[in-house]
Amino acid sequence: MRKDYLPMALGFWGVAVPLVAFGVFLCRTAAERITVFVAAGIFGPVGYFISRAKQ
Amino acid sequence: MKLGTIDWAFIVWYFALSIGIGLYYSKKAGRSISEYFLSGRSLPWWLLGTSMVATTFSSDTPLAVTGIVIKDGVSGNWFWWNFLLGSTLTVLFFAHLWRRAEVVTEVEFIHLRYSGRAAEFLRGFKALYLGIPVSCIVFGWVTLAMVKIIQITFHTSGIAALAVCLSLTVFYTTLSGLWGVVATDMLLFGVAMLGSIVLSVVSVEKAGGIGTVVTSLKALSAQTGKDYLSVFPSFGQALPLAFFVAVFIQWWAVYYPGAEPGGGGWVAQRMLAARNAKHAVSGTLWFNIAHFVIRPWPWILTALAALVLFPGLARAPAGDMEASYPRMIGCLPAGIMGLVIASLFAAFMSTIESIVNLSGSYLLNDFYRPFVRRDAPERHYVLVSRVLVVIVALLGAGFSYVLGSVKMGWQLIMELSGGIGLVLLLRWYWWRVNAWSEIAALSSSAALAVYLKRFPDSVLVRGLSSGLERAGFRVDAWGTNIILIVAFTTVVWLAVTFLTPPDDTQHLLAFYRKVRPGGFWRPIARLHGTRYRLQAAPFAGWALAIVMILCFLLGIGRIVFAGFAAGAAYLAAGAAAAVLLAGAINKIDWEGQ
Repeated sequence: MRKDYLPMALGFWGVAVPLVAFGVFLCRTAAERITVFVAAGIFGPVGYFISRAKQ
Repeated sequence: MKLGTIDWAFIVWYFALSIGIGLYYSKKAGRSISEYFLSGRSLPWWLLGTSMVATTFSSDTPLAVTGIVIKDGVSGNWFWWNFLLGSTLTVLFFAHLWRRAEVVTEVEFIHLRYSGRAAEFLRGFKALYLGIPVSCIVFGWVTLAMVKIIQITFHTSGIAALAVCLSLTVFYTTLSGLWGVVATDMLLFGVAMLGSIVLSVVSVEKAGGIGTVVTSLKALSAQTGKDYLSVFPSFGQALPLAFFVAVFIQWWAVYYPGAEPGGGGWVAQRMLAARNAKHAVSGTLWFNIAHFVIRPWPWILTALAALVLFPGLARAPAGDMEASYPRMIGCLPAGIMGLVIASLFAAFMSTIESIVNLSGSYLLNDFYRPFVRRDAPERHYVLVSRVLVVIVALLGAGFSYVLGSVKMGWQLIMELSGGIGLVLLLRWYWWRVNAWSEIAALSSSAALAVYLKRFPDSVLVRGLSSGLERAGFRVDAWGTNIILIVAFTTVVWLAVTFLTPPDDTQHLLAFYRKVRPGGFWRPIARLHGTRYRLQAAPFAGWALAIVMILCFLLGIGRIVFAGFAAGAAYLAAGAAAAVLLAGAINKIDWEGQ
């Protein structure tokens, strides 16, 4: 884990996790659910790539 | 509209994340001015490019684009899409030179490039001009847009909410410097985009789906005579002068914050903070892709859906058109509403933090340090920087409070600096440009702008207008003024350049040795012994970058309206241009060895 980029990665994961909860519990329609899950699916890996980026 | 517990929970969680990230970097930022304003020149391309686009994605941007689309349709966006030409020019011809210059600010470049008292005067003047009035106007514009959003979404004046948001942003920006700014920008841009995409999906769904939106807008077009869906404007009998000026003049002539000819402001600050010249180039290219391709379509879709849901908007005043963006938030379900509101706060905060950090850098590095107190310890300068950041924030907040019409002030600033773009481009590539050239350009541009404001119906304007009408243009005041200002300013600064002596040869030689520009430097290159030449690859790269971004922009535009075959064809063409561009970028020697 790269120390300088860790807070940014945690920030992205910190958004991805509530998004999954939104998708499961709060979205009313399929379109909303797909949008939120796709977004969570992007935020999670982006956080991972940031954490692994070269310093 | 009413926010539920879950909405508030997301907003509070989002603020906690942003502030936590910002504060993490405060220790690092306190080491030196280079760390505080330039992150120790260690930023990778993806971080600096995202930070640039996060800064240009402000709380007023979605509102402005919504207003444009409702008024003129999708094609109205050429008002700002034209800056693509200048922004990609910066990528291929200027980003690497900024990084090689190794100055702390855009204004310090004046000290590096020019010599003598005129240069010192110009540096001090620009530090104050960009650091206080220009920064305060940008601050005021962004803050007023946020006030509008809060008033519409919460049905209150929202001053307390705004004050809390501003205080928190300024607090972590003051402590964490550019590191905190760029790190939070990563998250802020992600959240801002997420919010705008979710809002567009829900809005289109609410309007009956994309098929209904297209059908309804075609019917509305038949009534109003405007084509809302076409990406390109229909010219009819005469070419609109504003469109001609936007595409052929504005992008290289007008100094517009965020799209300065040759780079400037927060764009230059991030290029200067890059790890090396190639990272500066790649980061600026990523900024252009995100700025022109990724950002606009969710806003455009939301605007079109609003037009279907509220057809009366087509004839509404401009303010109501813009306000329809925050109004659409009322369509959102609980929870998602909190996310979208947090995304608008994200857009607001990412711009505010960059403005205060940047204006602090001008005031400290180009005014306080050279003219008030030289040779103090680094810790002293960092402390003064933090104080200046707070002062600028307070001035900006006060300015936004008393500002009645920011738009007029904003247009005036653009007209005041309407003709200075060419001198900002040529100062890198032509040895003969000196401090007097820039002073002449600034003062003649400002003088003519003021004259045209005072006498809008002067002989000059009437003569040019009738000439343009005879040539087949549909004339407007903005386009006529810009043509006059650019022509007059160019003649004046070129005359002044040839009437004043060139800069000191040793000073020019030191600049040439350090920055290694190509172009028209023959007398200096002869003294240096080595001549750096303009390569052909950047010209090809510039054309490819424009083609790539336009193809991606149009491809996504086709796909969102269910034109999958045409969309795929555009995306394939854009991908081919991207591959060729990557080849061109890899071929160029960005360090100029």
